[in-house]
Amino acid sequence: MLRRDFIKSAMAGTALGALGPAARAIASTDILWMTWENLAKDDYLAPFLDSRDISITKTFIGTDDEQFAKLRAGGASSVDLITPGLDKVEYYTASDLLQPIDFEKVPNAALLYDTFKATSLGKVDGETYGIPFYWGINPIVYRADLMDEEPDWSVFFEGDAYNGKLAMRDYALEGIMIAAMYLGIPEDEMFHMDDKQLAEIKKVLMIQKSKLRTYWNSIGDLTNLFATGEVVCAFSWVPPYYDLKAKGIEMGMAKPKQGVIGWCDTIAVPKGVSGARLDATFELVNYLLGEEYGKMLAVGGPYAQSTSAARDLLTEEEQDKIFIKDLSVMDNFVWKQNPPRYNEWVALWNEVKAS
Amino acid sequence: MRRSILSVGDWLALPVVAALIALCCAPLLILLAYSFFQVDFVTISHDLTLANYAKIAGSETYRSLIARAFGSALLVVALTAVIAYPVAWFIAKRVHAAKSTLLTLLLVPLYSGDLIRIFAWRVLLGAEGAINRSLMWLNVIDEPLSGLLFSPLATHIALTYNYLPFMVIGLWLAFESLDDRWLEAAADLGAPTHARFLRVILPLTVPGLVAGGLMVFVMVAGDYLTPQLLGGASGITIISAINDLFGTAFDWPLGSAIAWTMLSILMLCFGLGALAIRRSSLVAEDV
Amino acid sequence: MTSRSSRKLEGGGRSARPLLEAFKLTKTYGTVQAVRGVDFALSENSYVTLLGPSGCGKTSILRMIGGFESVSSGALSLDGNRLDETAANQRPINTVFQNYALFPHLSVLENVAFGLSYRDVAKSQIKALAMDALKTVQMEAMADRRPRQLSGGQQQRVALARAIVNEPRLLLLDEPLSALDRRMRKDMQIELKDLQRRLGMTFLHVTHDQEEAFALSDQIIVMRDGRIEQQGSPEAIYAQPETAYVADFIGGAACIPADVIVREETNVVLKSAFGTFTVPSVPSLSMGGKAVLCLRPEQVSVVQAEPEGKATLKARVVHQVYRGSDWLLECDCGDQIVQVLHRDTPPAVGDDVILAFDTSKVWAAAADPRVATLSETGAA
Repeated sequence: MLRRDFIKSAMAGTALGALGPAARAIASTDILWMTWENLAKDDYLAPFLDSRDISITKTFIGTDDEQFAKLRAGGASSVDLITPGLDKVEYYTASDLLQPIDFEKVPNAALLYDTFKATSLGKVDGETYGIPFYWGINPIVYRADLMDEEPDWSVFFEGDAYNGKLAMRDYALEGIMIAAMYLGIPEDEMFHMDDKQLAEIKKVLMIQKSKLRTYWNSIGDLTNLFATGEVVCAFSWVPPYYDLKAKGIEMGMAKPKQGVIGWCDTIAVPKGVSGARLDATFELVNYLLGEEYGKMLAVGGPYAQSTSAARDLLTEEEQDKIFIKDLSVMDNFVWKQNPPRYNEWVALWNEVKAS
Repeated sequence: MRRSILSVGDWLALPVVAALIALCCAPLLILLAYSFFQVDFVTISHDLTLANYAKIAGSETYRSLIARAFGSALLVVALTAVIAYPVAWFIAKRVHAAKSTLLTLLLVPLYSGDLIRIFAWRVLLGAEGAINRSLMWLNVIDEPLSGLLFSPLATHIALTYNYLPFMVIGLWLAFESLDDRWLEAAADLGAPTHARFLRVILPLTVPGLVAGGLMVFVMVAGDYLTPQLLGGASGITIISAINDLFGTAFDWPLGSAIAWTMLSILMLCFGLGALAIRRSSLVAEDV
Repeated sequence: MTSRSSRKLEGGGRSARPLLEAFKLTKTYGTVQAVRGVDFALSENSYVTLLGPSGCGKTSILRMIGGFESVSSGALSLDGNRLDETAANQRPINTVFQNYALFPHLSVLENVAFGLSYRDVAKSQIKALAMDALKTVQMEAMADRRPRQLSGGQQQRVALARAIVNEPRLLLLDEPLSALDRRMRKDMQIELKDLQRRLGMTFLHVTHDQEEAFALSDQIIVMRDGRIEQQGSPEAIYAQPETAYVADFIGGAACIPADVIVREETNVVLKSAFGTFTVPSVPSLSMGGKAVLCLRPEQVSVVQAEPEGKATLKARVVHQVYRGSDWLLECDCGDQIVQVLHRDTPPAVGDDVILAFDTSKVWAAAADPRVATLSETGAA
């Protein structure tokens, strides 16, 4: 490159850099939102931005742990809004990174489904730090063409019919929760199991391992394994069910009576946010729990919002897809929590896998 | 030392070398520091302790996972060595014009990325894969061999395939510098074929074997994706366990301690490898 | 040729049958004929040199005898037994390689002992025999060194020891002195010749250096383009080169093209551009054939007046080289350069001189067919 050209480019770069903040400053308030890419699509947010003097800068995360690490490293004022898992909020509060939700500024929170109002997760001393945002279930997905009847959790622990054709997610928390549900350990004990109970869990997990084709790590990979017939039944996420059905494979989805693992992400406001930015942030939180956003998320996701704001705007089919047609499913929900002895759970899970 | 004054080149290289050393060492040193800490939920206590290392030593799981990592690595080193030997010999001694083409071809799989190769093996070894289908078509078997995929067998086949090129390159370089006259001299002195291999080729290609072997060893010991995606229910590795500890379990100190245990063993292997090369006396010694 | 009989080798007294015989030996690489059907024989206890420029096929012959190259056609026999069907490691022949090819991973002693483990030698004897061989080449002090730690001359000695320790019937030496400096080369020549005498072994030595060949050999085989140009004792080859090529290659004789106009018993009458001369001849010349008149520098002198009984040439000095004891003059006789050795103060460059030579001392050799066409046009 000629020296002159280089200087020109360098100057151009400097000019752009100088212009950047100015351009963003055209809107009076800018909210920095750290979240999953599929929650912050431009069209989901357009109605919010169009009617307000607010702009949103998005940072996308790949895992919950990454979000936690970034916030810890950057400090509680580096971001305005984050999207932690309901069971992970505890990490953030224990690290003193969050401020309580001001429900005065979030009227849509009144529409939260009862189960989300009632849960103790995301709360400390009666204050809510992570407000449930959207949720789903992790069901059993199976090849209906290759299985005789709808399975429940016992398929992973009993009988020989599907030996070597089962898959389990490689995740200690869910894996041990499923074993606990199979053993009939009630939800309120599940996350505080004693040594004897954990020994029992380990025993059944060893049996489970002998029946598994593999542990899966990515949902795309599991979808693949279903498609090739390597796996006929797995503790799964919802997407393979719809993806493979769309390809003409007869798929089934089971929500076991012993308990369904529900997941839920929250929205939470870091501690350092204040003033006009805090007001704008709560305004966004309220929008995210409202009907416009809810409908777009239900259709585009498809994911269910944690409030009933958009429910009546959806067709029955759309409702069914996100499990809100029959709300009784929520009665069986077992929400993921953070067990106090989680390190031991991970160690146990690894022991089983390494055996 | 021939010169006491640094040349311009040395001065120019100095900052780069210093930066490289700093960038390489700093994370490792931070990891080392962490390995002496303890974690309580999300708080890391900075009181120095050997508890993490004691935990590793006392844990059947971690011990066996570490042993398995190095066992696998050794096995794959042996497999790649056996396969790479004739390949490297062929490329170095029997191919002339097409040499660079062959070497490039050898490296082509490396450009395709880990996942592509792993999934290619899935296609080949799966229940509906090429091998099972052919065997069934030939009536050798009645139903697919499930042990082909999601088994240690699959893992080791893929690992061997993945890292073979590194062994071939190492051995190829050794064969390139193996003068044919040494073989002629051995024959001239009466050595039959097997003796020419054992007494001349093998010792003179030891540096290539060690260099290739170390590369393969380190990479296999550090590969968690292949076992995870092809090894089935027993596809856990010490690396994925470290991954769990840093990720979901938030136990960075224990993760660091395991990582450093692995690192120490690897460095020991490197030290022994370097010693082996030196002992083979093919490195110039001052007269 | 020496007729000293061998102390060590069995059948040393049987001089009737040669040690090694090559019969129509041919080597072809693809379309290139490196060796074109040569015949020769080596006798017991002799030092033979294959002499020729690079690419003449001498190394190919050596490698076929050693077993490193297959014989394309023709045959080799050793002690009357077919050799070319025997694997290299089964032949009672050892080689000193160019650049020595010592095993870098073994000590000097281990290098020398290498071959003994494949011979009928007791394990306990191996070390002693190897040490003896090292003593023979005065390298016993270096027994524990690695080849890399030795100088070129020392490596050369180890390579020799490694070969002779096996008591081969025939020792092959492939340009063994080419990597040494001039001084070292001279010393090693003497040692090699001495070693061959002491061992009574037959040495076949490949070189492109005619001085080396003369210093060492009982017999020289001069090669060119895959064929043997002449073979014989150094004296015979020097005194009577049979071809223009050999005359030029050995001793740098000027070769003046001529026609044979009279063929006598030992002499011929040659007609050249410079006159007609009666000179001794090699047997291969025939009446009406092409020949060359060979003039060695020492056979020609610069004279003031035409001397009695000598032939003369008119020439002009074009170049002079001072060589310490004498000068070498290059004189142009018109399209033909003749070199002259001159002891006194030489004529200056550019001077016209008269060159004289004794017709009974010079000789006629066969013309080189490829040079003949050139010289015909030059002489016409």
